[in-house]
Amino acid sequence: MTSTMNDSATSEHPTAGRENVFEVKDVTLRFGGVTSLNNVSLHMQRGEILAVIGPNGAGKTSLFNSLTGVYTPQEGSIQVRARAGDSPSSVIGLKTHVVNRLGVARTFQNIRLFPALTALENVKVGIETRQKSGPISAMLGLPRQRREERESSERAYELLQRVGLERRANDIAGSLAYGEQRRLEIARALGTAPGVILLDEPAAGTNPAEKRELATLIQGINVEDGISVLLIEHDMKLVMSIAHRIIVLNFGEKIAEGTPEQIQRNPEVIAAYLGTPADEVADLDLSQPELHRIDTDVPLGELVGQTPAEAADQHDRGELPR
Amino acid sequence: MNRSSSETLNRLLLCLAGALVLALMWGPQEGNFGNYWFAIKESLFGPRVLVFLALGVLAFLAMTFWPRVVPFLTRPGVWPMVAGALTVVASQTLMHWADQVGDAKFGTVASAAANTNGLAPLASAFFGGLCWAMLVIVVLLLAAGIVSGLRNFGWAAAVLSVVSAVIAYVSHSAVVDFVGGVDHSLGVYVCIVGYLVLLTAGLVVAMSHAQVANTRRAVNQALGWRPGLPLVLIGAVLGAISLATSTWFSPANRNATLADTRNLFRGTGLAPIAVQYLAWLGWTIFAISLVLSGVASYRRIRPLGWAGAALGAIGVLLTVLTLYRISSIGADLHVDSADGPWQNLGAGGWMTCAALFLIGAGGYVAATAPRHSERTVEVDSDAVASGRSASGAFLTAPGAVRSGLMVAIAVALFYPPTANGFWQSVLVSEIGIYVLLAVGLNVVVGWAGLLDLGFIAFYAIGSYTTAYLVGSLPVKPPSWLEMSPLLAIPFAVVICLLAGLALGAPTLRLRGDYLAIVTLGFGEIIRIVAVNADGVTNGSQGPQSQVPHPVINLGPVKITWGLNQLQYWYLLLVFVLVVVLAFRRLENSRIGRSWAAIREDEVAAQATGINTFRVKLLAFAIGASTSGVAGVFFASQIGFFTPDNFLLNNSILVVAYVVFGGMGSLPGAIAGAALLTWLPEFLKDQVPAADRQMWIGAVVLLMMIFRPGGLIPARRRAVELSGFDQRQRLEPVAVPAGEGL
Amino acid sequence: MNYLILGITRGSMYALIALGYTLVYGVLQLINFAHSEVFMSGAFGSYAIVHLLVGDGKATPSWAVPFILIAGILSGAITAAVIAWLLERVAYRPLRRRGAPKLAFLISAIGASFFLSQLAGKLFGRLTSNSFPEFFDQNAVIFRPFGAEVRVLQIVIVASAVLMMIFLDRLVSVTKLGRSIRAISEDAPTAALMGIDIDKTISRTFIIGGLLGGAAGFLFGLNFSFGNTMGFIPGVKAFAAAVLGGIGNIRGAMIGGLLLGIVENLVPLVNIDTKWTDVVAFVVLVLVLMFRPTGILGERLGRAA
Repeated sequence: MTSTMNDSATSEHPTAGRENVFEVKDVTLRFGGVTSLNNVSLHMQRGEILAVIGPNGAGKTSLFNSLTGVYTPQEGSIQVRARAGDSPSSVIGLKTHVVNRLGVARTFQNIRLFPALTALENVKVGIETRQKSGPISAMLGLPRQRREERESSERAYELLQRVGLERRANDIAGSLAYGEQRRLEIARALGTAPGVILLDEPAAGTNPAEKRELATLIQGINVEDGISVLLIEHDMKLVMSIAHRIIVLNFGEKIAEGTPEQIQRNPEVIAAYLGTPADEVADLDLSQPELHRIDTDVPLGELVGQTPAEAADQHDRGELPR
Repeated sequence: MNRSSSETLNRLLLCLAGALVLALMWGPQEGNFGNYWFAIKESLFGPRVLVFLALGVLAFLAMTFWPRVVPFLTRPGVWPMVAGALTVVASQTLMHWADQVGDAKFGTVASAAANTNGLAPLASAFFGGLCWAMLVIVVLLLAAGIVSGLRNFGWAAAVLSVVSAVIAYVSHSAVVDFVGGVDHSLGVYVCIVGYLVLLTAGLVVAMSHAQVANTRRAVNQALGWRPGLPLVLIGAVLGAISLATSTWFSPANRNATLADTRNLFRGTGLAPIAVQYLAWLGWTIFAISLVLSGVASYRRIRPLGWAGAALGAIGVLLTVLTLYRISSIGADLHVDSADGPWQNLGAGGWMTCAALFLIGAGGYVAATAPRHSERTVEVDSDAVASGRSASGAFLTAPGAVRSGLMVAIAVALFYPPTANGFWQSVLVSEIGIYVLLAVGLNVVVGWAGLLDLGFIAFYAIGSYTTAYLVGSLPVKPPSWLEMSPLLAIPFAVVICLLAGLALGAPTLRLRGDYLAIVTLGFGEIIRIVAVNADGVTNGSQGPQSQVPHPVINLGPVKITWGLNQLQYWYLLLVFVLVVVLAFRRLENSRIGRSWAAIREDEVAAQATGINTFRVKLLAFAIGASTSGVAGVFFASQIGFFTPDNFLLNNSILVVAYVVFGGMGSLPGAIAGAALLTWLPEFLKDQVPAADRQMWIGAVVLLMMIFRPGGLIPARRRAVELSGFDQRQRLEPVAVPAGEGL
Repeated sequence: MNYLILGITRGSMYALIALGYTLVYGVLQLINFAHSEVFMSGAFGSYAIVHLLVGDGKATPSWAVPFILIAGILSGAITAAVIAWLLERVAYRPLRRRGAPKLAFLISAIGASFFLSQLAGKLFGRLTSNSFPEFFDQNAVIFRPFGAEVRVLQIVIVASAVLMMIFLDRLVSVTKLGRSIRAISEDAPTAALMGIDIDKTISRTFIIGGLLGGAAGFLFGLNFSFGNTMGFIPGVKAFAAAVLGGIGNIRGAMIGGLLLGIVENLVPLVNIDTKWTDVVAFVVLVLVLMFRPTGILGERLGRAA
């Protein structure tokens, strides 16, 4: 079933037939006895917004870490061609910073800024990893160093404007509000001039207004800068509204892939989120209006956006989420 | 027992315990093994312990009634009063007042003055108790003014402060003139500074309209009112005193002022320019530059500021030239067995230099301070480009930081010549060299966040490299390579760089504390090799022959070091300045930011494309080569050294200097090293020599308890301190703390 | 063989000190630089008691010897535990409250270390080689396995060290306190959420480390000599041993200590001059860390991967 959906997705999507940014084949990642990615294959096309969803512990962040060289999968291959015209290279065994230099930028699930640096400096760090001037020219203040310094300041300021943080340029990153920190992380990632950007739950902990801005921002990055976006997100409204394609992971395995509409209707996905076996969900009469409302009108994100404790609590009381 | 009373009891116990520890530390008796409890008995069982317990009770009362005192503490003028009074007390208990009298401390001078007939009555009175009476009256007046809010008390205190300062100065001069000889003591100057602070307190009390003082804002307002003016004012006072009354030349204990010096050198063939200087030129330059810089800063006229700066610089040069001329003639005449220039000079000339320098600096600050209109823009591209943020800085007024820097430079340039030989050698071989080391280690520890406990090894390598290159070791360099110590600097830098790389390459992948022990081991290995490789290093004896002093020979200009410590001081100063300037740029460059990044979050730094290994290695190498330069200096300045100069203890001390000063802050590293190398020498006069380390340990401990960010916390670090809890709270509840699978 | 026995003797003392480093590291992720002074204070404290009990030691009846040894160990352990407790209260807790950077702890510990060692010097003299009264024939050879000589003192040292290590191992793996210590070393904030009193546990960890270090101080003083600066070198060595075994790992510290002691004493056997002992020890340390960057046993016993 997965393969058929895959085919239909590629044929429907406007960017069909373009070269792939990522080609992941049969990747397996284990920690001791725990298999966090099991035989996962996927591809990501240039210019698309690809979302990876799945319940907590499904292996989404492990996938990100494998794609960026933080983890080295035991089996499988990962090819990357981040920028158009690059020749493909394998990520496996590369150091994280090398992968980044290949044009793969990322943000983190639990924000990892440089909290004692100003917002501007955070972005500059990203930009400057592409610069060349060394310690000697920095100590002597050579013209090239000055030029690069000026360029990076200007570029960083632009990027801050881009994410709406220019007023806070000189504020210490650690003092920014949560949503601002998330956007700052995106700006820092953009500073490294990536061909593809991996966003790990960019909307976590942000309010609805911020989520709308974020959606615009991600689409802007995708369309205007031509950067491919790989997105992990629990907020289904956001995912469904901006993703071109969605991949669903559960227990380290890819269980579905397709357009948002396809995913919304996929019984296996619903089963994975509701925790019921797939065949039971399939047996449900989807034409009944109440159930229709569950998988269409009520965003699935409401369910996973809760703390596990709350969810468990509701589960214990036999309630369906809202 | 309820909660608050048990807390009170705890506090009382804490205070009493602290008092007992203090009693032990201040114990009158060294212990010994034959009589195991002797020292403890002497310290704790006797009437003296009651004094300490009383102190403890006082501390307890202060802590308990603190909330009631606090409203008064925020009244205007309290903090300057406390600071000024403490400064005066310190100057009149701990500091030297006249070098030629006994151990030169205030008490000794006072009792000598009491036994001396023929001293000016004012001086006798001052040393006979007037000093304390004046202080008490000033403080009482201030306190009355603060509590009652009556302004006249403030005015009275201000006037009396000035009078007291003058009396102190006159009395000190009287004693010094009475005894004769060159005086190096600083007590009276510190005392005057204390009274000036009290004067400020008085003025604040008299003129303040607010009930609550914001000291930081007040300081910044005062400094920012007219950028450069504070410097000009200090220069004016200093210059007036030094030109009018201070000793310029002191042959045969004559303590001649500027005017006397002119008379003294009449008809000795003194160069005309120096004659003119002594006669009128000095005063004139002082006056003109004062007017130029003063007007420039007051009216914010930039060209005038530049003119003041230029004239100040010319004045400094002329003064130095004059001092050279008169001391050369003094040497030709063998006054007081002088055998070269720069001898028998009093403090006056150098103070004048400092005054002219500060006046010039005031002009410079006024000329470069941003204009009003430029300051009000919120986030302009200029501020963005400089990447500077106001948060966390104490001095935010325009030009204030620069002014502070200028004062520091003035002290560094013109204080050492007036110090006595002992302090000069302390300045060079302790303070100067350790400042250089601390600045180097700051790169590794403060910026890159790598704990290096073997830093002294690179210093050793630098020293031994020098010794090798000048041919002082058993192994001789090829004859074409033998060189003067200064030329060894690039070699030492390169070799330390390589050593840093060699140590770093295999070990920098280790995490923090593993790195610490490996570097510690490396430091020890280098030392043990130096001790044991007799054939190469001459073992524990150190180099066989003296490492020669450096010589610069450029045809007409020939400078030979080694005659006195001052030459090394200025050489070191140049190097420290160069290194500090270079490192300042480095800190605000992409390299500095990537260090900060890996220190803050290594994973994120990697994900942002920073090659963390390379960046760390770079920090290591740069730190190591700085240390190598310090090694060259050390070797050539001291001539003979042994492996015992490179103990593990020293490595740890350098780390302590850096952290004490404020990790990652250049001024902090400098201040930390300077203060902690100065302290043991200062304590030499105050406590038994063997106890010094104990007091230093206590100071370091207290500093870390009450100010864990160090003396001058780095801007980039200040956040970590305040933001510790904040960061935890930022994590959303639902997201696990780790990365998650 | 003799060297091996010397090595085990010395190594068991290193292990006892190393445990102090490792325990504190486990709960705080900090190097307790002042632990060497805790060790030193153990020697001074036990001297006071032992000297009181036996005077110059010449007239000590043989039946009393074991009791005096126990008294010595206990008094050393208790003195050191008190010092360690004070150290935590004064040099660590205020900094923890303020959320100070890691290095600030290190420096406050260094300050405390200077202070303690010099205060001891001021109070009890600064001789570096004081010795305990000889109240029994320390060098009597008990038995000779493989031609080596095993002396009374060596047996005393190794036996008491092993006993204490077993005791500690049980303590940490079985008791409630041990569980708290392990929980905090895994994840302090979570442990706090689970109702573990972090302050109290850290205090007690310092006390346990102090007990062991103080006992080691007594044994060390008995075997060699003691003075106010005695802590520094064994302290550094024991720290190295803790790292060698995997810092934060209790069994690692034991093994690291023994290994370091043995390596040091085996140096003469392989035809290296004893003056290079320390170099060899550190080189071994560096080599081990090269190949096992988290020490021989890794950082945590409980952590599988």
